[in-house]
Amino acid sequence: MKVVTGVVGNDIHVVANRLIDLSLRARGFEVFNLGVNTYLEEFFDAVVETGAEILLISSLNGEAEGWGREVKALKAKYKHLDNLTMMIGGNLVVGSGNAEDIVPRYKNYGFDLVCHQVDLNTGLDSLEVFLEERNKQ
Amino acid sequence: MSLLQEEREIILNNEYVDTFDFAEVSEFVKNASKDLFISHHFKNKAKDKMLVQPRGGFPTYKKQFALYEFFVDANVDVLPLTIDSNTRLNDYATSSKMLRLSEANDVDMLNGYPLVNHGYRTTRKMITHFNKPVSLRHGTPDARLLIETAIASGIFEIEGGPITYLLPYSKNFPLDKAFLYWKYVERVCANYSELNEPINRESFGPLTATLVPPAITIIIQLLEMLLSLEEGVKSFSVSFAQNGSMNQDIVTGAVLKKMAKHYAEEIGCGDAMINLVYHQWMGAFPTNRDYAEQLINISTVIAKMVGADKIITKTREEAVGIPTKEANAKTVANTQYTLNILNGLPTIVDEEEEEILTLEVKAIMEAVFNDPADTLWRKVFNCIKNGIIDVPFSPHIINHNEMITIRDAQKNIRIIKRGNVPIPDRCYEYEKAQCDLTKDTTSIVNDIIHDIGIMQ
Repeated sequence: MKVVTGVVGNDIHVVANRLIDLSLRARGFEVFNLGVNTYLEEFFDAVVETGAEILLISSLNGEAEGWGREVKALKAKYKHLDNLTMMIGGNLVVGSGNAEDIVPRYKNYGFDLVCHQVDLNTGLDSLEVFLEERNKQ
Repeated sequence: MSLLQEEREIILNNEYVDTFDFAEVSEFVKNASKDLFISHHFKNKAKDKMLVQPRGGFPTYKKQFALYEFFVDANVDVLPLTIDSNTRLNDYATSSKMLRLSEANDVDMLNGYPLVNHGYRTTRKMITHFNKPVSLRHGTPDARLLIETAIASGIFEIEGGPITYLLPYSKNFPLDKAFLYWKYVERVCANYSELNEPINRESFGPLTATLVPPAITIIIQLLEMLLSLEEGVKSFSVSFAQNGSMNQDIVTGAVLKKMAKHYAEEIGCGDAMINLVYHQWMGAFPTNRDYAEQLINISTVIAKMVGADKIITKTREEAVGIPTKEANAKTVANTQYTLNILNGLPTIVDEEEEEILTLEVKAIMEAVFNDPADTLWRKVFNCIKNGIIDVPFSPHIINHNEMITIRDAQKNIRIIKRGNVPIPDRCYEYEKAQCDLTKDTTSIVNDIIHDIGIMQ
């Protein structure tokens, strides 16, 4: 299964991005990694170009929310993205916040899976469970 | 007029520069106090004396001056001047605005000293007042204007290089441009070096500070050294950072020193002075300030075992943010104290590890020299592009990211996937044999996560 991944916005934190890449490959996904410092348009363009079924955005510097707000409006401009699984993970707010507030907010922005300060493998396990459930339907 | 001089006039004819007086600056460098030149200190210091240099830069002149007073009281050997992030990206308009806000509100709006905005006439007053060598710390791919301003201010050590200031810091700044901009820097440093003591150039060995194997660190140090020496620089510091295993650090230092001398002689630059610089742990720090101090202390011990000529310090506040001047000065005093009481250290030589590392370095260097391009910088450029040089965890799009490294039981960094890097088979087998590779990939990824954060 094809996944597009990368770090959103003016965020240069690369370490987790490489680890996500390695872990996804280890789980058998075909990975298209756009790396750090990636804008939303680039993510959606890459999804169209590769025909990916999953978009996994990560963020560490806390600025993801500013970008998250734009997701729905931008995604609406692309055709055939309705079945795209959208996931976001990392450190999703500036300063401290709790997952109970953050997760629904990001789901509202259009993400199916939201992982705020969740361990990498736990996050990817939840992705696999989500995909399994969806395939059953 | 030479092409270089024409380029210099274009660079210095900038709206943020208040008329650059070439003749006056040359006169200043020619008559400058020897104490301002770190190369002079390297030449005349006692053999086992290690110079201590902290990190630090504040936006305003007043705060930078106060920081230097603290450092001098703490018995500092080399003062740092760390540059803000906007200046590093040549955005002098933003740094100018943020400097004015910092001055007006007494709140720091920049993460360093905006040297171009302060200008050389102002900054020179501070540098000559303290009469200590100052090291320029930045991270700038196009540092032409910054370096001109620094030397005119009396800053006679310039850190950085086209590879070490690009691959760890940038996603898509063009690497070929960085090589050409740094060629300018090397030439300007070489020309000023003829007037008085040499300007010292220093490479940034820590790179991404994330599981970089010694072979990659060393070849990048050697290549930046050669690119500098071939332009006429006469004093150069190679550097690396604590990597988690004392033995591997000692082996790295020994091989780096030997190879630097070897390759400098190979290109007919054996007369240049080569110094060794050691960075205290550059990876993720413990948030517990007392543990951070213990880590810093261990770094100092290893630096002494390695035989470094200079050590660059961290602070107990590393995990928290930009350190206060008090915390920063405290590290300097503590490091000097540790160095003074460290006597009678044993000499450790691990011949097998040295042999393996030397073979790896020579094989990669040979592959670089065998690239068909006509100049060294183009050879290096091609080798980064085709993955012969591959830096783990670099964010830059040109970097291959095919090499994978983990720690063995002794915490040595080992290459378990070489990618396109020409690690000789024998060395590759040796590296892999030190690690437990029977685990599945998910467990290995978990090990890598653990290996990155070993000091936390």
